[in-house]
Amino acid sequence: MLVSFSYRQRGSVIERLDARARWIFSILLLFTIVIFWDIRFLLFFLALGLGQYFAAQLTWSETRRAWTFILVLMTLMVVVNTLITGSGTIASVADDGYPVWQFNTRLPLFGWQINFALTAERLWFALTQYVRVIAISALFIVVPFTMNPRSYGATFRGMGLGDRLAFSFDLAFRFVPTLARDFSITLDAQRARGYEVERVKGGIIAQIRRVAPLLVPVTMNAIIGGEDIINAMDLRCFGLRKRTWIEALSYHWYDYVWIGFAVFLFVGSLVLRYVYQIGDFWIPPGLIP
Amino acid sequence: MEKKSLWAFGTREVVFAAIGAALYGVLSFATNWAQIPAAGNVAIRPAVVIPLFFGIAFGPWVGLITGFLGNVLGDLLSGYGFWLWWSLGNGVMGFVTGLIAGGMTTFKSGAEILKAEIMVVVGVAAGMFLASVSEIFVSGVTFATTLSINFLPAFISNIVNGLILTPILMVAYAAVSARAGR
Repeated sequence: MLVSFSYRQRGSVIERLDARARWIFSILLLFTIVIFWDIRFLLFFLALGLGQYFAAQLTWSETRRAWTFILVLMTLMVVVNTLITGSGTIASVADDGYPVWQFNTRLPLFGWQINFALTAERLWFALTQYVRVIAISALFIVVPFTMNPRSYGATFRGMGLGDRLAFSFDLAFRFVPTLARDFSITLDAQRARGYEVERVKGGIIAQIRRVAPLLVPVTMNAIIGGEDIINAMDLRCFGLRKRTWIEALSYHWYDYVWIGFAVFLFVGSLVLRYVYQIGDFWIPPGLIP
Repeated sequence: MEKKSLWAFGTREVVFAAIGAALYGVLSFATNWAQIPAAGNVAIRPAVVIPLFFGIAFGPWVGLITGFLGNVLGDLLSGYGFWLWWSLGNGVMGFVTGLIAGGMTTFKSGAEILKAEIMVVVGVAAGMFLASVSEIFVSGVTFATTLSINFLPAFISNIVNGLILTPILMVAYAAVSARAGR
Protein backbone atom coordinates (compact mmCIF):
# COMPACT_ATOMS: atom_id res chain seq x y z
CA MET A 1 0.00 0.00 0.00
CA LEU A 2 1.33 3.40 -0.93
CA VAL A 3 0.41 6.14 1.52
CA SER A 4 1.45 9.60 0.55
CA PHE A 5 0.25 13.09 1.21
CA SER A 6 -1.45 14.88 -1.64
CA TYR A 7 1.05 17.75 -1.38
CA ARG A 8 3.44 18.55 -4.20
CA GLN A 9 5.26 21.75 -4.93
CA ARG A 10 3.44 23.75 -7.60
CA GLY A 11 5.02 27.18 -7.29
CA SER A 12 1.62 28.79 -6.93
CA VAL A 13 0.95 32.20 -5.38
CA ILE A 14 -0.85 30.54 -2.47
CA GLU A 15 2.23 28.46 -1.56
CA ARG A 16 4.31 31.62 -1.26
CA LEU A 17 2.19 32.73 1.67
CA ASP A 18 3.32 31.79 5.17
CA ALA A 19 1.44 28.69 6.42
CA ARG A 20 0.43 30.55 9.61
CA ALA A 21 -1.08 33.40 7.59
CA ARG A 22 -3.03 30.86 5.54
CA TRP A 23 -4.43 29.09 8.60
CA ILE A 24 -5.42 32.39 10.22
CA PHE A 25 -7.08 33.52 6.99
CA SER A 26 -9.01 30.25 6.51
CA ILE A 27 -10.21 29.97 10.11
CA LEU A 28 -11.28 33.63 10.29
CA LEU A 29 -13.11 33.26 6.99
CA LEU A 30 -14.84 30.10 8.24
CA PHE A 31 -16.24 32.05 11.21
CA THR A 32 -17.17 34.89 8.87
CA ILE A 33 -19.08 32.68 6.44
CA VAL A 34 -21.14 30.92 9.11
CA ILE A 35 -22.71 34.15 10.35
CA PHE A 36 -24.41 34.83 6.98
CA TRP A 37 -27.54 33.36 5.42
CA ASP A 38 -27.87 35.97 2.67
CA ILE A 39 -26.88 34.27 -0.60
CA ARG A 40 -25.45 37.53 -2.00
CA PHE A 41 -22.80 37.63 0.73
CA LEU A 42 -22.24 33.88 0.47
CA LEU A 43 -21.65 34.17 -3.28
CA PHE A 44 -18.91 36.71 -2.54
CA PHE A 45 -17.23 34.26 -0.14
CA LEU A 46 -17.68 31.44 -2.65
CA ALA A 47 -15.89 33.57 -5.26
CA LEU A 48 -13.13 34.21 -2.73
CA GLY A 49 -12.80 30.48 -1.92
CA LEU A 50 -12.79 29.51 -5.59
CA GLY A 51 -10.28 32.28 -6.30
CA GLN A 52 -7.95 30.72 -3.74
CA TYR A 53 -8.66 27.25 -5.21
CA PHE A 54 -7.68 28.33 -8.74
CA ALA A 55 -4.73 30.40 -7.52
CA ALA A 56 -3.46 27.20 -5.87
CA GLN A 57 -3.34 25.61 -9.38
CA LEU A 58 -5.38 22.57 -8.35
CA THR A 59 -6.84 20.38 -11.06
CA TRP A 60 -10.25 18.72 -11.15
CA SER A 61 -8.72 15.22 -11.30
CA GLU A 62 -6.83 15.86 -8.06
CA THR A 63 -9.83 17.09 -6.11
CA ARG A 64 -12.63 15.11 -7.77
CA ARG A 65 -12.85 12.58 -4.95
CA ALA A 66 -13.16 15.24 -2.29
CA TRP A 67 -15.73 17.25 -4.23
CA THR A 68 -17.80 14.12 -4.90
CA PHE A 69 -17.76 13.24 -1.20
CA ILE A 70 -18.79 16.76 -0.18
CA LEU A 71 -21.52 17.10 -2.82
CA VAL A 72 -23.05 13.67 -2.12
CA LEU A 73 -23.15 14.28 1.63
CA MET A 74 -24.46 17.81 1.18
CA THR A 75 -27.16 16.68 -1.27
CA LEU A 76 -28.31 14.03 1.21
CA MET A 77 -28.50 16.60 4.00
CA VAL A 78 -30.28 19.21 1.88
CA VAL A 79 -32.82 16.71 0.52
CA VAL A 80 -33.68 15.38 3.98
CA ASN A 81 -33.72 18.89 5.38
CA THR A 82 -35.88 20.37 2.65
CA LEU A 83 -38.28 17.51 1.97
CA ILE A 84 -38.50 15.40 5.11
CA THR A 85 -37.65 17.23 8.30
CA GLY A 86 -39.29 20.39 7.09
CA SER A 87 -37.01 23.40 6.90
CA GLY A 88 -33.81 25.06 7.87
CA THR A 89 -32.87 26.58 11.15
CA ILE A 90 -33.99 30.02 10.02
CA ALA A 91 -37.36 31.01 11.47
CA SER A 92 -38.57 32.70 8.28
CA VAL A 93 -38.06 29.43 6.36
CA ALA A 94 -39.85 27.36 8.96
CA ASP A 95 -42.93 29.57 8.74
CA ASP A 96 -45.51 29.15 6.00
CA GLY A 97 -44.31 30.38 2.63
CA TYR A 98 -45.34 30.52 -1.00
CA PRO A 99 -46.08 26.91 -2.07
CA VAL A 100 -44.44 25.73 -5.29
CA TRP A 101 -45.75 22.19 -5.05
CA GLN A 102 -48.03 20.53 -2.53
CA PHE A 103 -50.02 17.39 -1.92
CA ASN A 104 -52.44 16.10 0.66
CA THR A 105 -52.98 12.43 1.27
CA ARG A 106 -54.31 10.06 3.89
CA LEU A 107 -52.32 6.97 4.84
CA PRO A 108 -54.70 4.06 4.21
CA LEU A 109 -53.67 1.80 7.10
CA PHE A 110 -53.22 4.36 9.87
CA GLY A 111 -55.60 7.04 8.66
CA TRP A 112 -52.99 9.77 9.18
CA GLN A 113 -53.44 12.94 7.15
CA ILE A 114 -50.27 14.17 5.43
CA ASN A 115 -50.16 17.76 4.19
CA PHE A 116 -46.91 18.57 2.42
CA ALA A 117 -46.01 21.88 0.83
CA LEU A 118 -42.68 22.63 -0.83
CA THR A 119 -42.30 26.39 -0.60
CA ALA A 120 -40.18 28.83 -2.59
CA GLU A 121 -38.49 29.79 0.69
CA ARG A 122 -37.43 26.21 1.38
CA LEU A 123 -36.03 25.77 -2.13
CA TRP A 124 -34.10 29.03 -1.92
CA PHE A 125 -32.80 28.06 1.51
CA ALA A 126 -31.58 24.73 0.05
CA LEU A 127 -29.68 26.64 -2.65
CA THR A 128 -28.22 28.95 0.01
CA GLN A 129 -27.06 25.92 2.00
CA TYR A 130 -25.24 24.59 -1.07
CA VAL A 131 -23.48 27.89 -1.71
CA ARG A 132 -22.47 28.19 1.94
CA VAL A 133 -21.01 24.68 2.25
CA ILE A 134 -19.23 24.85 -1.12
CA ALA A 135 -17.70 28.20 -0.09
CA ILE A 136 -16.34 26.62 3.11
CA SER A 137 -15.19 23.51 1.23
CA ALA A 138 -13.34 25.55 -1.40
CA LEU A 139 -11.54 27.31 1.41
CA PHE A 140 -10.23 24.16 3.08
CA ILE A 141 -9.92 21.71 0.21
CA VAL A 142 -6.67 23.39 -0.86
CA VAL A 143 -4.95 22.61 2.45
CA PRO A 144 -3.75 19.01 1.83
CA PHE A 145 -2.60 19.83 -1.70
CA THR A 146 -0.70 23.02 -1.02
CA MET A 147 0.72 22.80 2.50
CA ASN A 148 3.91 20.88 3.11
CA PRO A 149 3.25 18.25 5.81
CA ARG A 150 6.80 18.71 7.11
CA SER A 151 6.02 22.26 8.17
CA TYR A 152 2.88 21.58 10.24
CA GLY A 153 4.75 21.28 13.57
CA ALA A 154 6.65 24.55 13.13
CA THR A 155 3.47 26.22 11.86
CA PHE A 156 1.40 25.31 14.91
CA ARG A 157 4.31 26.23 17.21
CA GLY A 158 4.44 29.59 15.46
CA MET A 159 0.69 30.01 16.05
CA GLY A 160 1.16 29.74 19.81
CA LEU A 161 0.89 26.01 20.53
CA GLY A 162 3.26 24.69 23.22
CA ASP A 163 6.50 22.99 22.21
CA ARG A 164 5.36 19.54 23.34
CA LEU A 165 2.05 19.75 21.51
CA ALA A 166 3.65 21.10 18.33
CA PHE A 167 6.32 18.38 18.53
CA SER A 168 3.58 15.76 18.88
CA PHE A 169 1.92 17.12 15.72
CA ASP A 170 5.23 17.12 13.87
CA LEU A 171 6.05 13.58 14.99
CA ALA A 172 2.64 12.30 13.88
CA PHE A 173 3.23 13.47 10.30
CA ARG A 174 6.65 11.81 10.30
CA PHE A 175 5.26 8.50 11.62
CA VAL A 176 2.76 8.15 8.77
CA PRO A 177 5.05 6.51 6.15
CA THR A 178 6.57 4.14 8.74
CA LEU A 179 3.20 2.98 10.07
CA ALA A 180 1.82 2.63 6.55
CA ARG A 181 4.76 0.37 5.71
CA ASP A 182 4.16 -1.66 8.90
CA PHE A 183 0.52 -2.01 7.94
CA SER A 184 1.50 -3.32 4.49
CA ILE A 185 3.98 -5.82 5.93
CA THR A 186 1.42 -7.08 8.46
CA LEU A 187 -1.24 -7.39 5.79
CA ASP A 188 1.11 -9.44 3.59
CA ALA A 189 2.20 -11.60 6.53
CA GLN A 190 -1.36 -12.35 7.54
CA ARG A 191 -2.31 -13.10 3.95
CA ALA A 192 0.58 -15.56 3.79
CA ARG A 193 -0.99 -17.29 6.83
CA GLY A 194 -4.31 -17.59 5.02
CA TYR A 195 -6.04 -14.41 6.22
CA GLU A 196 -8.44 -13.43 3.45
CA VAL A 197 -8.94 -9.73 3.73
CA GLU A 198 -11.44 -9.45 0.89
CA ARG A 199 -13.65 -12.29 2.08
CA VAL A 200 -17.08 -11.15 3.26
CA LYS A 201 -18.56 -13.76 5.58
CA GLY A 202 -20.76 -13.62 8.65
CA GLY A 203 -22.61 -10.74 10.25
CA ILE A 204 -21.31 -7.31 11.11
CA ILE A 205 -19.81 -8.41 14.42
CA ALA A 206 -17.96 -11.32 12.78
CA GLN A 207 -16.70 -9.01 10.06
CA ILE A 208 -15.40 -6.43 12.52
CA ARG A 209 -13.67 -9.15 14.57
CA ARG A 210 -11.94 -10.23 11.38
CA VAL A 211 -10.11 -6.90 11.37
CA ALA A 212 -8.39 -7.80 14.66
CA PRO A 213 -5.56 -9.90 13.13
CA LEU A 214 -4.56 -6.79 11.22
CA LEU A 215 -5.31 -4.11 13.78
CA VAL A 216 -3.75 -5.72 16.87
CA PRO A 217 -0.23 -6.41 15.54
CA VAL A 218 0.06 -3.01 13.84
CA THR A 219 -1.08 -1.18 16.98
CA MET A 220 0.99 -3.20 19.43
CA ASN A 221 4.13 -2.96 17.28
CA ALA A 222 3.66 0.80 17.13
CA ILE A 223 3.32 0.95 20.93
CA ILE A 224 6.42 -1.19 21.51
CA GLY A 225 8.35 0.97 19.03
CA GLY A 226 7.05 4.04 20.85
CA GLU A 227 8.70 2.91 24.10
CA ASP A 228 12.10 3.00 22.34
CA ILE A 229 11.41 6.49 21.03
CA ILE A 230 10.42 7.68 24.52
CA ASN A 231 13.66 6.28 25.96
CA ALA A 232 15.71 7.99 23.24
CA MET A 233 13.94 11.31 23.80
CA ASP A 234 14.26 11.09 27.59
CA LEU A 235 17.99 10.38 27.26
CA ARG A 236 18.29 13.56 25.18
CA CYS A 237 16.42 15.53 27.90
CA PHE A 238 13.40 16.28 25.74
CA GLY A 239 11.16 19.00 27.11
CA LEU A 240 13.59 20.64 29.53
CA ARG A 241 14.22 23.72 27.40
CA LYS A 242 12.57 25.64 24.59
CA ARG A 243 13.06 23.89 21.26
CA THR A 244 14.37 25.17 17.97
CA TRP A 245 12.79 24.05 14.69
CA ILE A 246 14.44 23.06 11.42
CA GLU A 247 11.66 24.66 9.38
CA ALA A 248 12.02 28.40 9.93
CA LEU A 249 8.94 30.48 9.18
CA SER A 250 9.01 34.21 8.59
CA TYR A 251 6.24 36.66 7.78
CA HIS A 252 6.54 38.89 4.70
CA TRP A 253 4.60 42.05 3.95
CA TYR A 254 2.10 40.11 1.82
CA ASP A 255 1.39 37.73 4.74
CA TYR A 256 0.38 40.72 6.87
CA VAL A 257 -1.84 41.94 4.01
CA TRP A 258 -3.46 38.49 3.79
CA ILE A 259 -4.13 38.37 7.56
CA GLY A 260 -5.28 41.99 7.57
CA PHE A 261 -7.74 41.24 4.76
CA ALA A 262 -9.20 38.33 6.79
CA VAL A 263 -9.46 40.45 9.94
CA PHE A 264 -11.15 43.23 7.93
CA LEU A 265 -13.69 40.77 6.50
CA PHE A 266 -14.35 39.20 9.89
CA VAL A 267 -14.78 42.45 11.82
CA GLY A 268 -16.72 44.07 8.97
CA SER A 269 -19.05 41.07 8.82
CA LEU A 270 -19.65 41.17 12.56
CA VAL A 271 -20.56 44.85 12.33
CA LEU A 272 -22.84 44.30 9.33
CA ARG A 273 -24.55 41.32 10.88
CA TYR A 274 -24.98 42.37 14.49
CA VAL A 275 -24.94 46.18 14.39
CA TYR A 276 -26.79 46.82 11.11
CA GLN A 277 -28.70 43.48 11.09
CA ILE A 278 -27.69 42.81 7.47
CA GLY A 279 -27.03 39.28 6.17
CA ASP A 280 -29.96 37.22 7.49
CA PHE A 281 -31.80 34.84 5.16
CA TRP A 282 -32.76 36.64 1.96
CA ILE A 283 -34.98 35.54 -0.91
CA PRO A 284 -35.31 37.51 -4.17
CA PRO A 285 -38.64 39.38 -4.03
CA GLY A 286 -39.37 38.27 -7.62
CA LEU A 287 -39.63 34.63 -6.52
CA ILE A 288 -42.67 35.32 -4.36
CA PRO A 289 -45.64 36.58 -6.37
CA MET B 1 0.98 -1.81 37.39
CA GLU B 2 1.28 1.54 39.14
CA LYS B 3 -1.36 4.28 38.94
CA LYS B 4 -0.68 7.04 36.40
CA SER B 5 -1.23 10.78 36.51
CA LEU B 6 -4.30 11.50 34.40
CA TRP B 7 -3.42 15.00 33.17
CA ALA B 8 0.33 14.62 32.60
CA PHE B 9 1.68 15.56 29.17
CA GLY B 10 5.31 14.49 29.20
CA THR B 11 7.52 12.69 26.70
CA ARG B 12 5.43 9.53 26.94
CA GLU B 13 2.22 11.38 26.08
CA VAL B 14 3.90 13.37 23.27
CA VAL B 15 5.08 10.15 21.58
CA PHE B 16 1.91 8.11 22.08
CA ALA B 17 -0.30 10.99 20.93
CA ALA B 18 1.78 11.17 17.75
CA ILE B 19 1.72 7.39 17.24
CA GLY B 20 -2.02 7.25 17.91
CA ALA B 21 -2.74 10.07 15.48
CA ALA B 22 -0.57 8.56 12.75
CA LEU B 23 -2.14 5.12 13.30
CA TYR B 24 -5.66 6.53 13.19
CA GLY B 25 -4.89 8.48 10.03
CA VAL B 26 -3.21 5.56 8.25
CA LEU B 27 -5.78 2.96 9.31
CA SER B 28 -8.71 5.21 8.37
CA PHE B 29 -7.17 5.66 4.94
CA ALA B 30 -6.07 2.02 4.66
CA THR B 31 -9.38 0.43 5.61
CA ASN B 32 -11.00 2.30 2.75
CA TRP B 33 -8.19 1.41 0.41
CA ALA B 34 -8.02 -2.29 1.35
CA GLN B 35 -11.79 -2.72 1.22
CA ILE B 36 -11.79 -4.64 4.47
CA PRO B 37 -15.29 -6.15 4.63
CA ALA B 38 -16.33 -4.32 7.77
CA ALA B 39 -15.18 -1.00 6.40
CA GLY B 40 -15.74 -1.10 2.67
CA ASN B 41 -18.97 -3.00 2.29
CA VAL B 42 -20.87 -1.94 5.36
CA ALA B 43 -19.36 1.56 5.29
CA ILE B 44 -18.06 1.45 8.84
CA ARG B 45 -14.60 2.38 10.03
CA PRO B 46 -12.82 -0.06 12.36
CA ALA B 47 -9.97 2.44 12.83
CA VAL B 48 -12.20 4.47 15.13
CA VAL B 49 -11.12 2.16 17.95
CA ILE B 50 -7.67 3.80 17.92
CA PRO B 51 -8.59 7.12 19.63
CA LEU B 52 -10.94 5.25 21.99
CA PHE B 53 -8.23 2.79 23.00
CA PHE B 54 -5.38 5.32 23.14
CA GLY B 55 -7.52 7.46 25.46
CA ILE B 56 -8.11 4.51 27.79
CA ALA B 57 -4.46 3.43 27.73
CA PHE B 58 -2.62 6.78 27.81
CA GLY B 59 -5.04 9.41 29.13
CA PRO B 60 -7.38 12.16 27.93
CA TRP B 61 -4.80 14.39 26.21
CA VAL B 62 -3.45 11.48 24.18
CA GLY B 63 -7.02 10.46 23.31
CA LEU B 64 -7.88 14.02 22.29
CA ILE B 65 -4.84 14.48 20.04
CA THR B 66 -5.15 10.97 18.59
CA GLY B 67 -8.77 11.58 17.60
CA PHE B 68 -8.37 15.16 16.43
CA LEU B 69 -5.06 14.94 14.61
CA GLY B 70 -5.71 11.38 13.37
CA ASN B 71 -8.91 12.52 11.71
CA VAL B 72 -7.08 15.50 10.18
CA LEU B 73 -4.37 13.14 8.90
CA GLY B 74 -6.92 10.70 7.47
CA ASP B 75 -8.64 13.56 5.65
CA LEU B 76 -5.31 14.93 4.39
CA LEU B 77 -4.25 11.51 3.11
CA SER B 78 -7.58 11.08 1.35
CA GLY B 79 -7.46 14.66 0.04
CA TYR B 80 -10.77 15.58 1.72
CA GLY B 81 -9.60 18.92 3.08
CA PHE B 82 -9.94 20.01 6.67
CA TRP B 83 -13.15 19.59 8.69
CA LEU B 84 -12.47 21.23 12.02
CA TRP B 85 -15.70 20.28 13.80
CA TRP B 86 -15.62 16.58 12.80
CA SER B 87 -11.98 16.34 13.83
CA LEU B 88 -12.87 17.96 17.17
CA GLY B 89 -15.69 15.44 17.59
CA ASN B 90 -13.22 12.61 17.03
CA GLY B 91 -10.90 14.20 19.57
CA VAL B 92 -13.68 14.41 22.15
CA MET B 93 -14.31 10.65 21.76
CA GLY B 94 -10.72 9.91 22.78
CA PHE B 95 -10.72 12.57 25.49
CA VAL B 96 -13.82 11.15 27.19
CA THR B 97 -12.57 7.55 27.19
CA GLY B 98 -9.28 8.89 28.55
CA LEU B 99 -10.99 10.08 31.72
CA ILE B 100 -10.78 6.54 33.12
CA ALA B 101 -7.12 6.04 32.19
CA GLY B 102 -5.96 6.85 35.73
CA GLY B 103 -7.89 3.90 37.14
CA MET B 104 -6.76 1.33 34.58
CA THR B 105 -4.19 -1.07 35.96
CA THR B 106 -4.52 -4.56 34.47
CA PHE B 107 -6.43 -3.78 31.19
CA LYS B 108 -7.85 -7.31 31.21
CA SER B 109 -10.06 -7.65 34.29
CA GLY B 110 -13.79 -7.88 33.67
CA ALA B 111 -14.46 -4.73 35.71
CA GLU B 112 -11.95 -2.63 33.75
CA ILE B 113 -13.22 -3.89 30.42
CA LEU B 114 -16.80 -3.12 31.45
CA LYS B 115 -15.76 0.38 32.59
CA ALA B 116 -13.99 0.92 29.27
CA GLU B 117 -17.03 -0.26 27.29
CA ILE B 118 -19.29 2.17 29.15
CA MET B 119 -16.86 5.01 28.44
CA VAL B 120 -16.72 4.00 24.77
CA VAL B 121 -20.48 4.52 24.55
CA VAL B 122 -20.31 7.85 26.43
CA GLY B 123 -17.28 9.04 24.44
CA VAL B 124 -18.71 8.20 21.03
CA ALA B 125 -22.06 9.76 21.96
CA ALA B 126 -20.38 12.98 23.19
CA GLY B 127 -17.96 13.27 20.26
CA MET B 128 -20.43 12.52 17.49
CA PHE B 129 -23.08 14.72 19.11
CA LEU B 130 -20.68 17.67 19.19
CA ALA B 131 -19.68 17.14 15.57
CA SER B 132 -23.25 16.63 14.38
CA VAL B 133 -24.66 19.62 16.25
CA SER B 134 -21.98 21.83 14.73
CA GLU B 135 -23.54 21.00 11.33
CA ILE B 136 -26.57 23.02 12.45
CA PHE B 137 -24.40 26.15 12.59
CA VAL B 138 -22.35 25.35 9.50
CA SER B 139 -24.89 23.83 7.08
CA GLY B 140 -28.05 25.25 8.60
CA VAL B 141 -29.80 21.89 8.85
CA THR B 142 -32.36 21.15 11.54
CA PHE B 143 -31.61 19.10 14.64
CA ALA B 144 -33.77 16.26 13.23
CA THR B 145 -31.78 16.23 9.97
CA THR B 146 -28.38 16.19 11.63
CA LEU B 147 -29.60 13.51 14.02
CA SER B 148 -30.71 11.23 11.18
CA ILE B 149 -28.04 12.00 8.57
CA ASN B 150 -24.95 12.72 10.69
CA PHE B 151 -25.30 11.55 14.26
CA LEU B 152 -27.04 8.18 14.08
CA PRO B 153 -24.96 6.58 11.27
CA ALA B 154 -21.69 7.78 12.82
CA PHE B 155 -22.77 6.88 16.36
CA ILE B 156 -23.99 3.38 15.52
CA SER B 157 -21.00 2.39 13.37
CA ASN B 158 -18.49 3.83 15.87
CA ILE B 159 -20.23 2.17 18.81
CA VAL B 160 -20.27 -1.24 17.13
CA ASN B 161 -16.59 -0.97 16.17
CA GLY B 162 -15.59 0.47 19.54
CA LEU B 163 -17.43 -2.07 21.65
CA ILE B 164 -16.03 -5.05 19.72
CA LEU B 165 -12.46 -3.94 19.14
CA THR B 166 -11.63 -2.02 22.34
CA PRO B 167 -11.54 -5.11 24.62
CA ILE B 168 -9.42 -6.96 22.05
CA LEU B 169 -6.84 -4.16 22.02
CA MET B 170 -6.98 -3.87 25.83
CA VAL B 171 -6.18 -7.54 26.36
CA ALA B 172 -3.38 -7.39 23.78
CA TYR B 173 -2.01 -4.25 25.47
CA ALA B 174 -2.09 -5.95 28.88
CA ALA B 175 0.30 -8.60 27.53
CA VAL B 176 2.55 -6.04 25.82
CA SER B 177 2.79 -3.67 28.77
CA ALA B 178 3.48 -6.53 31.19
CA ARG B 179 6.36 -7.61 28.96
CA ALA B 180 7.68 -4.05 28.64
CA GLY B 181 7.46 -3.52 32.39
CA ARG B 182 5.65 -0.14 32.03
